[in-house]
Amino acid sequence: MQSYSDKKNPASFPKSQRTSALNAATAPESSKLIFGRSLLAVPALFTTAFFLLSFLPRVQGNQTLVWSFWAATAVLATWLLVMYLRTGASGIKKSFVLTAPKPQHYIQAMVHLSVYTYWGWHWPPVQEHALLLLAQLLFAYAFDILMAWTRRDNYLLGFGPFPIIFSTNLFMWFRDDWFYLQFLMIAVGFMGKEFVRWNRDGKSTHIFNPSAFTLGLFSLALILSNSTDITWGPQIASTLSLAPGIYTYLFLGGLVVMYFFSITLIAASAAAVLFGLSALYYAITGVPYFLDSEIPTAVFLGLHLLVTDPSTSPRTPPGKLVFGILYGLGVFALYSILSAFGAPTFYDKLLCVPLLNLSVQWIDRSVQRLRDNKSLERIGLGVIPSRKANLAHMAVWIVFFATMTMIGKTDGRHVGDSVPFWAEACAEGRATACDRLLLIESNYCADNSGWACNEIGAHYIKGDVAAQDSELALGFFARACELRFQAGCLNLLEPERAMVSDPRAFDLRLLLREGGQNLLEMPETDLYQRACEHGWNHACQVSVASVL
Amino acid sequence: MNPLSSARALPVALACMNSVFRIKAFAAVLTTSVMLLGGAHAQAPSSSVAAAPPSPAFDAQFWHLPDETLLGFVEIPAGPFPMGSNPLIDPMAFENERWSETRRQGTVDLPQFYIARYETTIEQFLAFMEDANYRLVELSNAAGGNHPVSGVSWTDALAYARWLEAELKSSEQAPPELRSLLTSGWRLTLPNEAQWEKAARGTESRIYPWGNMARKDRANFGAAGTVPVGSIACPECPYGLSDMSGNVWEWTRSPYLPYPFDPENVAVNLQEDALWVMRGGSFNDVENNIRTAVRGAADPGARRPFIGFRLAIVRE
Repeated sequence: MQSYSDKKNPASFPKSQRTSALNAATAPESSKLIFGRSLLAVPALFTTAFFLLSFLPRVQGNQTLVWSFWAATAVLATWLLVMYLRTGASGIKKSFVLTAPKPQHYIQAMVHLSVYTYWGWHWPPVQEHALLLLAQLLFAYAFDILMAWTRRDNYLLGFGPFPIIFSTNLFMWFRDDWFYLQFLMIAVGFMGKEFVRWNRDGKSTHIFNPSAFTLGLFSLALILSNSTDITWGPQIASTLSLAPGIYTYLFLGGLVVMYFFSITLIAASAAAVLFGLSALYYAITGVPYFLDSEIPTAVFLGLHLLVTDPSTSPRTPPGKLVFGILYGLGVFALYSILSAFGAPTFYDKLLCVPLLNLSVQWIDRSVQRLRDNKSLERIGLGVIPSRKANLAHMAVWIVFFATMTMIGKTDGRHVGDSVPFWAEACAEGRATACDRLLLIESNYCADNSGWACNEIGAHYIKGDVAAQDSELALGFFARACELRFQAGCLNLLEPERAMVSDPRAFDLRLLLREGGQNLLEMPETDLYQRACEHGWNHACQVSVASVL
Repeated sequence: MNPLSSARALPVALACMNSVFRIKAFAAVLTTSVMLLGGAHAQAPSSSVAAAPPSPAFDAQFWHLPDETLLGFVEIPAGPFPMGSNPLIDPMAFENERWSETRRQGTVDLPQFYIARYETTIEQFLAFMEDANYRLVELSNAAGGNHPVSGVSWTDALAYARWLEAELKSSEQAPPELRSLLTSGWRLTLPNEAQWEKAARGTESRIYPWGNMARKDRANFGAAGTVPVGSIACPECPYGLSDMSGNVWEWTRSPYLPYPFDPENVAVNLQEDALWVMRGGSFNDVENNIRTAVRGAADPGARRPFIGFRLAIVRE
């Protein structure tokens, strides 16, 4: 193995190595190149470590997961063998380009990691997923190195795979029985980065944010095949809010990214559009647009950490502003479109990113006509980026967020998942209210609230909220009954009676969680007090009685 | 098995059952004297083993129901019967079998109804699962298709009843008398606990369907598993029904409420978790649990290897 120290002129390299050096087009001046066939040991090491993880109890607990690891190992090992034979035959040596770590990799990765830590503290499946995250990192490094060496002779060794793996998993991962698709999803992300490229500002660069590209592609496939349930996607989207004060936490993490990468205009404009449209919708219809808050938590995460990749977003401040606005509009529209097609709405934040990535050059070119607009320059929206303007935009964003927080639009109480609210709105005939009522009752029924299952059954018998369907009704009554909700059992004997009754204390512990932690430990007096405050009238009597 | 120790073992057996699912029905505490008397009642005449009955025939053409005129449904005539237990007659009686504070036993006048001669079998339930694509129960007939179905919840039992009723109503092959009943206001469902008790003990106040003494040759109890339905003859049993004691506990359509029993009373506390009555005891119970008046109760979602059911046809 030979190594070349910094700042050597590639022209002075031996001829066989000059190609490698020149191919390292992205290598900055401080790069260090390390050559040798024996470097194949590095991807081999990643592959071996990846393979060894499959023997840990977390993986061994599921046979499909074990086979997923072994199949991925087989692919990597075969690729390594071919690479070894080819390099031996041709005499071409592979190299690593070592550079100073790129902030857009390690800072983003650290922010991602902090989100995992905080969220995982409050939602145990994240902790269980930690090992699989590590496995994906090892797989990603081995895959990326081999793919790079298949197409050229060098690989830029850094923290690149970290943000790709982390940001992908912050939005979706597959269940253990389907985890081989996770490796495929990661591979597709890296292939998108490698193969789908264009020339931007005189440099070859990838078009799509790798994680957004693969998430978008797989989201589409999952929607079309109606197989979202093989992923943790819906749970991921809804459990972020289990962490108290998650908006503030994401906001603070977002400030770090905004400071270092000047993406304030993207995130802030997307957030402002969503806040604005939500408020407008509420003002017109009297009901909230999103169920869990003015901006769903996962969308708030996405507009900070998914859509803001500096490499695949506009570079001019007006371009960033337009980009953020389009993202906000896209999410808002997709939420309705997905709802209309009966698809899970959590895909709203994922599907529009690849399309936006495709538009960045057009956006940057379009805003060039504003080059001489002095008014825009005065508010930091001139086409020439400036750090000072970014700091000013951050200040505006901080004020905006603080205002939203003070009026209870972020981590505060939201009526979007309140059953009494939607029941009343449905009775008043407000737009989409009956559909929403059925949707949230379905969610609570799936959470094992017998009360919610019985309510849905009664709706299907009465035909008040949904079209009459006695077969469906019997199914919901049976579920309610098996969840020990007595009215459900009585309805199973005489469905046409469609008896309903108030939720039990156990049901209230589920119904009042409002997207947050369940309330299984809450003392009953507090529980009924909370229920009373949230519109459950029967609970007020219990609450008063307990005080007396 | 020493009958006295069997009687004493009840609280332990119940504690074990409680650890699996909530059986509330046997909250009564037996006094020593009751246990002693109970032991005296539980002596089985080991020498009087009845001849094995001819195995009941089931017809695959008729949903594997018994090959009889009414597909195994037996008429129980209208009339009163004594319900609950009188500890003076039945010292093993539990407190929850007492009729009221002032009366030990009650009298319930029931209209005519029909009840299945046998417990619903695995084969019958499998036919339903296949036809209705019902996938909530894991069932195999490896042990034998004519064993009673078990591991079914209260809701599964009702789903089967609904399906069979629809089949009988719509099938040209169904016996005309049955079709006529079902199309004129009668329903195929689970018996309520009064109907079950009358069918089990008749109009006399019998402790067991065959009399007042536990008999191993009349019922499958204190055993390791189920036996095929109708495989134990019981010539003394009222109405010619089989396995009313032992084999599997049988779900009823009665919510668990304190006596006195009132078929019209559904005033259950809707804020409390549901419990539904099951009757008859099972293969792994001791003799005092297979008495005709014993009231068991379980979560309607419980699917246990010792709980099954039999159907009844009742007028709405």
